[in-house]
Amino acid sequence: MITATNLGKRVAMASGELAILKGIQLEIKSGETAAIIGASGSGKSTLLGLLAGLDTPTEGDVTIDGTSLGDLDEDGRAALRGREVGFVFQAFQLLPALTALENVMLPLELKGDDRAGPRAAEFLERVGLADRQDHYPRQLSGGEQQRVAIARAFAGSPRILFADEPTGNLDRATGTRIADLLFDLNREEGTTLVLVTHDLSLASRCARRFEMDSGTLREAAAVEA
Amino acid sequence: MALLFRMLRRDWRGGELGVLFFALILSVTMVSGISGFAAALKAALRQESNAFLAADIAVRDSQPLPREWLDDAASLGLETAEVLTFRSMLFHGDSDMALTSVKAVSDAYPLRGTLRLSATPYGELREHRGAPLPGEVWLEARLFALMDLSVGDTVSVGEADFRVAAALRSEPDRAGGFIGVGPRVMLNLADIPATGVVQPGSRVRYRQLFAGEREVVTAFTATLENRVSAGQQLQSVDTAQPAVGRALERAERFLLLAGSLAVILAGIAVALAARRYAERHQNYVALLKSLGAESPRVRRLYAASLALAWAGALLIGWVLAWALQSAALAAFAERFTVPPSLLEPRPYLVGAATALLCVLVFAWPPLARLTAVSPLRVLRSDLPLHDGREPRDFLIALLAIALLMWAYSADLPLTLLVLAALGLVALVGALVAWALLRGGRVAGMQAGSVWRLALASLQRHGLGNTLQLVVFAIAIMLLLLLGLLRTSLLDEWQSQLPPGAPNHFVLNIAPEELEAVSLLLDEQQVRRERLYPMLRGRIMAVEGTELPAEAEDGEPEQREANFTWSGEIPDGNELVAGSWWVDGKLEAVSVEEGFAERMGIALGDRIDLLIGSSPLSVEVTSLRSLDWESFKPNFFMVFPPGLLESYPVTYMTSFHLPAERKNFLNRLLRAHSTLTVIEVDAIMSQLRQTLAQVSRAVELVLGLVLVAGALVLIAGVQASSDQRLRESALLRALGASRRHILGSVAVEFLALGVMAGVMAVGAAEAAFWGLQTFVFKLPYAPTPLLWPPTLIVAALLIGGLGVFNCRRVVSVAPAAVLKEI
Repeated sequence: MITATNLGKRVAMASGELAILKGIQLEIKSGETAAIIGASGSGKSTLLGLLAGLDTPTEGDVTIDGTSLGDLDEDGRAALRGREVGFVFQAFQLLPALTALENVMLPLELKGDDRAGPRAAEFLERVGLADRQDHYPRQLSGGEQQRVAIARAFAGSPRILFADEPTGNLDRATGTRIADLLFDLNREEGTTLVLVTHDLSLASRCARRFEMDSGTLREAAAVEA
Repeated sequence: MALLFRMLRRDWRGGELGVLFFALILSVTMVSGISGFAAALKAALRQESNAFLAADIAVRDSQPLPREWLDDAASLGLETAEVLTFRSMLFHGDSDMALTSVKAVSDAYPLRGTLRLSATPYGELREHRGAPLPGEVWLEARLFALMDLSVGDTVSVGEADFRVAAALRSEPDRAGGFIGVGPRVMLNLADIPATGVVQPGSRVRYRQLFAGEREVVTAFTATLENRVSAGQQLQSVDTAQPAVGRALERAERFLLLAGSLAVILAGIAVALAARRYAERHQNYVALLKSLGAESPRVRRLYAASLALAWAGALLIGWVLAWALQSAALAAFAERFTVPPSLLEPRPYLVGAATALLCVLVFAWPPLARLTAVSPLRVLRSDLPLHDGREPRDFLIALLAIALLMWAYSADLPLTLLVLAALGLVALVGALVAWALLRGGRVAGMQAGSVWRLALASLQRHGLGNTLQLVVFAIAIMLLLLLGLLRTSLLDEWQSQLPPGAPNHFVLNIAPEELEAVSLLLDEQQVRRERLYPMLRGRIMAVEGTELPAEAEDGEPEQREANFTWSGEIPDGNELVAGSWWVDGKLEAVSVEEGFAERMGIALGDRIDLLIGSSPLSVEVTSLRSLDWESFKPNFFMVFPPGLLESYPVTYMTSFHLPAERKNFLNRLLRAHSTLTVIEVDAIMSQLRQTLAQVSRAVELVLGLVLVAGALVLIAGVQASSDQRLRESALLRALGASRRHILGSVAVEFLALGVMAGVMAVGAAEAAFWGLQTFVFKLPYAPTPLLWPPTLIVAALLIGGLGVFNCRRVVSVAPAAVLKEI
């Protein structure tokens, strides 16, 4: 379960302080899927960063499964991420010099998993890239690269998956297929999914939807998944 | 571990580890190679000097030395020899006789170096080690003409007869002071009792010679130091300082300087490469952290990869250092009686330690701070790059450079001078860069678009450019400085021994013979130097105090010296106190400073002399220093013209005679049998050969330092290439033409090159002046002719490297560049 209490983020600007996020209240239960939607610059990526513990808030706190991120230092948050959290990014963030398999193995190796290779191969197979294991990112299309990124995100068996515009860099058809894959795997693994997007159709596939507007968050009416 | 290796592989392919790795290899190679080579040179220097002693150490006394010293040395495994020298008359037949300097040597003599003999007085040389056979003597070449002798004749010393077996042309331990010593007669020590000339109270110099393995000699020297008494003198390398030694010493200093400059360059290259490496790894670290890697883990990962890079660089660097030493030593092969080992561990350990220091001080700080990279970068790649430049790093790096240089050159003035030059470049660099960049922007506004783009870019990259500028300037300055020093050293050696320099001295030319001798020399087209009048006199008293006829060792005593007169200060002499001749004050003398010190003479003292039987009193009006290695006639005492002309005087001069015309000496001496000819051609050719070898070594090392400099330039250009690539790609995406972009990059780097060149030339001249004046003690002359080519080469080189580095941007789709970085 993820909760955000009175979360705020301000940054210093030349012209004074700018509040990017103000008084955010949020609670996402285990296994739920949630979308955060909003226009560019509305602060949704900043919120994602705070929820995932990639950044620290100026006010308020985030707890993940009862652990307050505010009580953890940078390394404590990293350890928590390693155990509990997976990511899918808009720009894929694959390491260009590693093969598809090696990219997927990375989080497993960081956890010290002895069976990193076979497990990574299994996930690559589940995203339909069994025959592209030894390809480098530059030899893969955008959709294939994002599939590798999804395999990497799920390979670590996270309890929570954060996805930042996962289809943002893809054409519509590919984007739909990637979204299908993401939601299928999410269902199979029973992961909590927090998705940031400005794509309403993608957001509509989540059980809950929140809307960011000028640094404030409100929940849109629940829809049936 | 698997992750580590994958990361290394990735970095290697990415190219950023490459420069770091090469810089580390270079530092290991340079330090190990050069310090190994310098150590070997030192060994050569020692052997060279030891040859001038004919031993590793020697003890001298005017009394017989204790026999047990020889026995003790022999029991330690050292070689020993004994030498006796004294003056004695040599007789040939009933009428011919000459006062000679007899040297009796034991069979093992010389322990170091070789004798040179010939079958006829000036015939073909052959090298020889060992004493004459009992019953035989070797005579100095000039004795043959003087006494009308040939090989096979019988001569006598004291009560013993000897067969003349060969002409003695040179002996290793007879350096300097050749004028005024009687011609040499060498015989076997075993024959001394038969001559009956060595009696209690005779003036005899006794020497014991020792040689052997270095450690044993060092230990034995220590025991001897405790045992020698007041009159006994321990002689070692330090007391023998031949010209060869000085040249080798300067070369050694140059090599050490070159080595330390190479280390600085390699250090800068390591620092630049590490900075770039760290910059490029920020996204990577952010991703690792978002995936759950904690800081210690990230730190361990980078520490391990640096350690691996260091270890790999060590292995390769050591092999290269070995090869470098072999190549450098090959030039010296014939010099070594025992070739030095290339596997002495010390240079290799020094190289490893230096590279480790480079890793810790130059490479580690930016990498260690990678752990501070925010994982948020995975979401927002536009986050400002973590700035790795911290003043503390610079200070630590500067301190490390100072320590490295000092440890390496063991020369504080040299270190401080180079550091001062580096500081000057950094300071002036920052100021000039700031001013130029600002001025450039204003000028650029009025220029065409390529120029505007370039100058705007120069200004926009302000801090980065200043850093780049300073790095370029330092690299160019160090290379320039080294090049200048090399040229100056080689010139100095060349001028010390110009081709055709006089290699023979002729003494005892009577005034009435002058014309005939000159004619003979001119007729043979032998080039001769100026004539010096010469007469011998005796120093009797200083400031009215009589000197004893004989004194304890070291104390001033009456002695003879060669006098001359001269209107001008003789060549190669320098006034150190007092003034040259004052009009009207005739009874004056100028004394060589070392001689004055030994005789207890000070400026202004009145000295009583005896020339023949006439007394003369003069005042010391100046002290001179002179270059004993100049192969020019040198005199302890020089008088003003007009004072000594009435005394019986002979003349001396010097001339150059090539080896193939040595026979001329026989003709000269037959025609003028009273002349004394001294040959210095053997020692000069030895010196010349050494200098040629040293020059080759210097060139080799300079070449290596050039490689280090090039590496720094490449690392410097690379330092900003990512940002430039991105900006250029953006410009191209906006429609800028290929010509436009390459043009502006070229202009930008050309401008950087010119600015760096200007700074480098200024700083190099300043440092060159300092080094010449304070460290190498050589004359300084500005080198304006070097400035334009330096500027042009710097501009072209840096401009070319810049364009080469950015060429990809015009051959690859801009999107690919933008996406990749």
